Amino acid sequence: MELSLGTLGSAASALALGLAVYALIAGIAGSVRRDARLQTSARLTAVAVFLATTTAVIVMQAALLTDDFSVKYVAEHSRIDSPIWVKVVTLWAALEGSVLLWAWLLTGYTAVLAVATPNHALRAWALVVMQGVQVFFLGVVALVANPFIVLANPPFDGPGANPLLQNHWMMAVHPVLMYLGFVGLTVPFAFAMAALITRRPGTEWMQLTRRWTLAGWGFLTAAIISGGWWSYEVLGWGGYWAWDPVENVSFMPWLTATAFIHSVQVQERRRMLKSWNVLLIVLTFSLTILGTFLTRSGVVSSVHAFGDGPVGPVFLGFFVLVTLLSLGLVAWRWDQVRDRAELDAAVSREGAFLLVNVLFLALTFMVLIGTLFPLIVEAVNGARVTVGAPFFDVVSLPMWMLVLLLMGIGPLLPWRKAETQTLARNLGWMTGGFALAAGGALIFGLREIYPVLTIGLAGWNLVSLGLLLAGAVVPRARLTGRGLAATTMRYAFEQRRKVGSMVVHLGVIVVALGIAASSGYRTDVQMRLPYGEPVTFNQYELQALAPFSERGAGRVSVGVEVAVFQDGRQVDLLRPHINAFGNNSMTVPTAAVRYTLGHDLYLSVAGAVDPTADSVIIRVIQSPLVTWIWFGAVILALGTVWTLVPARSPGAATVPAGATGRAQA
Amino acid sequence: MNRKWVYGLAGVGVLAVAGFMIFQALSTSLVYFILPNEHAADPAQYDGRRIRLGGIVTPGTIAFDERELQLTFLVTDGLVAYPVRHSGAPPELFKESTGVVVEGRFADGTFVSDNVLVKHTEVYVAEGEHIDLELLRESLK
Repeated sequence: MELSLGTLGSAASALALGLAVYALIAGIAGSVRRDARLQTSARLTAVAVFLATTTAVIVMQAALLTDDFSVKYVAEHSRIDSPIWVKVVTLWAALEGSVLLWAWLLTGYTAVLAVATPNHALRAWALVVMQGVQVFFLGVVALVANPFIVLANPPFDGPGANPLLQNHWMMAVHPVLMYLGFVGLTVPFAFAMAALITRRPGTEWMQLTRRWTLAGWGFLTAAIISGGWWSYEVLGWGGYWAWDPVENVSFMPWLTATAFIHSVQVQERRRMLKSWNVLLIVLTFSLTILGTFLTRSGVVSSVHAFGDGPVGPVFLGFFVLVTLLSLGLVAWRWDQVRDRAELDAAVSREGAFLLVNVLFLALTFMVLIGTLFPLIVEAVNGARVTVGAPFFDVVSLPMWMLVLLLMGIGPLLPWRKAETQTLARNLGWMTGGFALAAGGALIFGLREIYPVLTIGLAGWNLVSLGLLLAGAVVPRARLTGRGLAATTMRYAFEQRRKVGSMVVHLGVIVVALGIAASSGYRTDVQMRLPYGEPVTFNQYELQALAPFSERGAGRVSVGVEVAVFQDGRQVDLLRPHINAFGNNSMTVPTAAVRYTLGHDLYLSVAGAVDPTADSVIIRVIQSPLVTWIWFGAVILALGTVWTLVPARSPGAATVPAGATGRAQA
Repeated sequence: MNRKWVYGLAGVGVLAVAGFMIFQALSTSLVYFILPNEHAADPAQYDGRRIRLGGIVTPGTIAFDERELQLTFLVTDGLVAYPVRHSGAPPELFKESTGVVVEGRFADGTFVSDNVLVKHTEVYVAEGEHIDLELLRESLK
């Protein structure tokens, strides 16, 4: 077949690359010479790039769905008897395909930026930066790690996707969210570079990209938490975060991005922390590229790592290039970027935000050291080490407590300088909340320091949110004479940024409580369950009923049915099992989880299921409040969405805050 | 002027404390990966520390007590073999002559492990035969 899918796909990606190179050059020329025609040409070409990349993606999906094993990527990663959804997600199940997905999302964002955003002096150069990044990713797809290579002798069948990835539907969601997050955060980076190039380092670049940044941050947050849930359900150890290098690598840009979305408010209001903001966004983007290098170069081994090959050095080179260019640009324009104004007082909103920046940066630094240390040690003296979770926990937990503390007091601090009386009163209430909550925890019998502190800080934060809301709603209610409920609703609809951020912070508290409880008070044991005999575990009785085996599309599952009794009544039937995919020797133990609001009961098969044996060994884990983490994440997401939806009534928070200096509650 | 000094000093102070904390935490939570012969060469170095021991499961040494849920076996790299004790069922692919990495501590000559990871390796151990240690290390990654 001359026009095979492989050749078509290669042609499409090569075309996309060529167009992207043209768009880049035209964009640069058009911006330097202020030539509107060239700029328009570059913008329209961005759409063409998107269409070409979309074609490549469609071709790959077609190849996967029609089991076209002449395409190298399909031959290496797909399998005839896999279910359809697995074939669809195989697009991003391995290296080459995942880069294609990233490139595609990037071209989509660039196209939208090119034709669907209002014209602005910064847009042309921002597009240039986006197209530069595009050229890199499309270059990797077309030249370095081409998934469309045509095999002369295609195999009859393939090995199928990595079993860990096939085991859970989250595979369809988590990587896409992650890339949406990374690509979304490329936009503020591009605008920051544009602002530096055009000598407009004011607040424009941040205000223009506010929604893009928040959306990107939101996607990244959702990606990280959904990844945690995926780990929880798939990896069988009942945990959701292992400080695995690949997890850390997605966490670091999140930390700097979180600092960034807070810090920009200071620049909006007081024109301060300009240099912080530029550096934070540069750091965020660089970290996403560094992270991609670490996970795709084979230097770290992990369930996530995509392995070896020529891609590693290419990503490292791009990371170095991006970091040098952007830091160089910052240095070149340092005079315009550096802060001129100083903080009026440390105890102020600005002071709190500055401390937030410092804390998050310290956390990022700590995670970076912990992640890179094994690589450095191995490079230096060949010894192989792992940096265990205790390192990350011990160093970061105090900082997290400080973050929670700041999250409570920060929004209550006024700009410029806190007035002592109001501050003292607010602090009094919040300390009361802290004492009440922490005291309650101690009375309840909790003695571990971090869970107790977290509960105390939850009280601190809830009081803070109450004070914020009351402080805004009560005067309004008095003024308008409406009821409190109606005023609150109206306030929520008008002040989307404020209320949205309150909801997000509430989500953070819920997540923090979930993490504190589930890490501090887990029971984790292996138990032998003889068939037909109930065995007591905490407040439950577990009875293994019978082993079972079943077939699905492309998989064989072998497991045990376990009835769960509480107070004599059966409350659940859990089926922990082991999945084997295709003829892959790697099997994946799949846990069965009973989710309740108070705790999770987690069963996982330990060892093998022997149908001739009279008992089975099950790993039983009970973790309190794990569900709170996922609920908290949903609250977080809702809060983010609320902030993003534009308010309808006039005088809403979309007016840039620095402009009129109106007294906001 | 004065305030800048205070901020600067505070910043340096915070950095120093943070740096010290990081250094301390790092040195106590590094988990070294070694082969049995490396431990035998200098047991005192790893005394009481959490380490990862890698090797091949010596044929004929696997014993699993179903009542107590205790797994015992010998792990070897062709030069030195150590007994391992693990509280829990053997992982699914665990069998003789398979590559394994166990994480835990030494206690009186026995390695007490809380995590057994099975690794696919093509290195085989026959009685007394010399095996390629580098290959073993790489394959246990």
